[in-house]
Amino acid sequence: MVKNPVLPQIEFRSVTKTYGKITAVRDLSLTVGCGEFLTILGPSGSGKTTTLMLLAGFEAPTAGDILIAGRSVAAVPSYRRDQGIVFQSYALFPHLTVTRNLEFPLEMRGINAAERTTRVRRMLERVHLGDFGGRMPSQLSGGQQQRVALARALIADPPFLLLDEPLGALDRNLREQMQIEMKSLHKEFGTTTVCVTHDQEEALTLSDRIVVMRAGQIEQTDSPEALYDRPATCFVAKFLGEANILENCNFELETDAAQPSGTVAMIRPERICIVAPDAANRGDADRRQSITGTVDDMIYAGPLRKYHVRVGSSVFIVREHVAAGQPIFRPGDGVCLDWLRSDIRFVAA
Amino acid sequence: MKIFQKLGQMPIGLTVPAFAILLIVFGMPIILLFLSSINAPAFSVTNYYKFFSQPANVRVLFQTIEVSVLATGMCLIVGYPTAYLIVTASKRVRLTLIALVIIPYLTSGLARTYAWIVILGDRGVINNLLLHLGVIHSPLPLIYNRTAVYIGMVHIMLPLMILPLVSAMMGIDRSLMAAARSMGARPLAAFWRVFFPLSLPGVRSGSLLVFVFCLGFYITPAALGGLRDAMLSTFIAAQVTSSFEISKIATSAFILLAIAVAVLSMLGLNLAGAQGRAATSAPRSWVVRLPIFAMRKHYFSEFPNRYRAKLWTTQLYQAGGNSRLSNIVGAVFVLIVMVYLLSPGLIVVIMSFSAGTFLEFPPSGVSLQWYRSFFGDPSWNGAAWTSIQIGIAVAILSTVVGTLAAYGLNRTHPRLRGFLTMTILTPVTIPVIVVGIATYLGLVNLGLIGSKTGIVLAQSLGAIGIVVVIVSATLANLDRTLEQAAKSMRAGPLQTFLRVTLPLIRPGVIGGAVFAFLHSFDEVVITSLVSGYSIRTLPLKMWENIRNQIDPTIAAVASLLMLVPVLWLIVLYLMWWRARPRDHHTLSELAT
Repeated sequence: MVKNPVLPQIEFRSVTKTYGKITAVRDLSLTVGCGEFLTILGPSGSGKTTTLMLLAGFEAPTAGDILIAGRSVAAVPSYRRDQGIVFQSYALFPHLTVTRNLEFPLEMRGINAAERTTRVRRMLERVHLGDFGGRMPSQLSGGQQQRVALARALIADPPFLLLDEPLGALDRNLREQMQIEMKSLHKEFGTTTVCVTHDQEEALTLSDRIVVMRAGQIEQTDSPEALYDRPATCFVAKFLGEANILENCNFELETDAAQPSGTVAMIRPERICIVAPDAANRGDADRRQSITGTVDDMIYAGPLRKYHVRVGSSVFIVREHVAAGQPIFRPGDGVCLDWLRSDIRFVAA
Repeated sequence: MKIFQKLGQMPIGLTVPAFAILLIVFGMPIILLFLSSINAPAFSVTNYYKFFSQPANVRVLFQTIEVSVLATGMCLIVGYPTAYLIVTASKRVRLTLIALVIIPYLTSGLARTYAWIVILGDRGVINNLLLHLGVIHSPLPLIYNRTAVYIGMVHIMLPLMILPLVSAMMGIDRSLMAAARSMGARPLAAFWRVFFPLSLPGVRSGSLLVFVFCLGFYITPAALGGLRDAMLSTFIAAQVTSSFEISKIATSAFILLAIAVAVLSMLGLNLAGAQGRAATSAPRSWVVRLPIFAMRKHYFSEFPNRYRAKLWTTQLYQAGGNSRLSNIVGAVFVLIVMVYLLSPGLIVVIMSFSAGTFLEFPPSGVSLQWYRSFFGDPSWNGAAWTSIQIGIAVAILSTVVGTLAAYGLNRTHPRLRGFLTMTILTPVTIPVIVVGIATYLGLVNLGLIGSKTGIVLAQSLGAIGIVVVIVSATLANLDRTLEQAAKSMRAGPLQTFLRVTLPLIRPGVIGGAVFAFLHSFDEVVITSLVSGYSIRTLPLKMWENIRNQIDPTIAAVASLLMLVPVLWLIVLYLMWWRARPRDHHTLSELAT
């Protein structure tokens, strides 16, 4: 999807932002390629919103520089930057109709009335709101407001788009629907997009690359698959999905490669098989490891079951897709856990 | 370099016009006044010593404090239950009652004081009625004594007490009372342990407003009281007109100011509890003083889908239970208070149509003679025209300057904002007579005494404060991301302000302009000091008339003056109402 990865559209060069004694962003360096969908993911207080505010021009960096298309924009106020922003609260102008809201960015760019009308009509149709142009924002549902906000951000064809927790205010079903819609809009417009969110599912679904932030610094930057499958640190492993950290275990961990120092072993819950103790041996014993434990708890979650299995002093989380003929274990049952040695990952502690 | 850049970006510069007016017309003179009260550069307290060594002065001072404290106490005793009953009433009744309290609040104090003269006077409504019925044979001495002063002052101040109380009480989360009840608190216990403590901020702002107002507003005591009921403010005003001895006036003014500041800081600290709240208490109290905004906000929150939930919490909310008796007692109480608030005005309006040669109630016939006399007499309609001109000038000046200042303050660092807002509001938070003296001195220095420009500047001091409060309240509710959104779409600062901010705060700006006009149209204390006998505004002409000869034309003028705020209220209501259907529409749509 990256049109021109050679040419970075947005570049952060050792950017630091402090508010009094608090450092919100520390020495952040980051590039976003042309046409890329990059998500900044992190818990609250990790500095992700500050990063977005810096990029949008609502805040100026304390140190370092931000370049857009190769030019420093640290001193350029936000209204002179060519950008589209979707705000968390949508920030639709309550005193203007949907049409007037969509016309606003075009007017500010001095586009004539006839052209504005055509573009607004086309855009409204594109986001399936063709009949809603005359409505006030307060007369729209949450999902419709979200689509107007997106349309307003994209209508002037800005070279890049910023999304601040774009789907945070929607309910679950609507969120999934909007994720699909945003993905198709991004494909169609090819706008470089930077999205800030704390919702890992949103990040995994939408992004070409994800930046995980923690305490004002980048923890890891990678594609969604790589980030989930090969997290660099314990924090990333735990923040993105669930992780079993294999530390202080009462068994010898068998691994293919030697464990680098300063790391801990980790395995994802869905990589562990849970079977009855007598059915343990699967043949390819040289590639697998099996241990025994006791079921502490079983949580039923629709298509999958989650077990908490006590092994010595530690508790393993095991996630299993519900399939026909599978045995169901109850708290107190003795079970056998086994996994492929190649599924063990080493992450920085 | 960085610091300069930051300062340049700060919109604090927008407050410069407001502070320039404040400093020149009020700030510097009040410092000069203080210096002359301590005999600068000799620096001595002789003037204060002289003041306190005269028993007459001390008596007037104590009398001033006594009258102010008692009037405030009476307002609280009448106002708290009234406010409580208003808040617990059903929605429609509540809105009606609030409107009925706001109407006298917006009506000229002078006109309402005049109404009491008409009612209590020797040939007034009550005496005439009693004489007519044969109950008494000579008029009762109802007027020109302390009782009359209290009746008049409590009448004038009561809205000032009720409205902040209502605003504070409506802000109390109703579920808290339900929670207290669910935890086994009896209705009365729930009231004392939960509701009453939460309503204290309203008690504080109401009491402060009334007390400070009492200290400086000498019109009512002077009109309704006897010679022995003089207030310190009356003394000060008299000294300005008789012998302008600046150090003596300055001393009296600063003693009055000291009392006000002492009470402001005492109540502010004790009741507010938390630190720093004292600093914001004054602006807040003024925010709630103009409670149409609060009313409007609450109005929107009461939409039908939540009706059922509201219904049962309202029942829980009523502390006194739901016995029929308590309902009747409450209704009678509110009725009496409303009659007290509204009947004087009504009586004057009715009498203004009387056909006789004297004012009589009930009128023996209907005629428009006093209105004809008002419109035919150049001294009356000339004064009205002057007032309108000055009012419009004040409204324009203070709306522009005040809106700019409010916008600048809104974008300033919170700590600095609190301080600067307090400073801008000084002319409306200290006794008005002190502002009048300082302004007089300021305009003397500018050579503007007795000029329209001078009066406009003097009245704008308070009007700017009012505009700042109203516009700030509107700005505080403005979602800042809307401005960011506009900027992200390439709208510059000016375009953002004109296209997004201004349309969204327009109700506040127009409301500010209306209140600025009303402030000017009703101002008499400061104006009488700075007019220098050469300019007659309508309130001045009225005041003169009340004191010297009672020309029945004044009834017509008072009626017209009562009409003005009602008209404005309708204008404001229509404007806000026009903005309402959109929201309303949505709600009904969402409900279906």
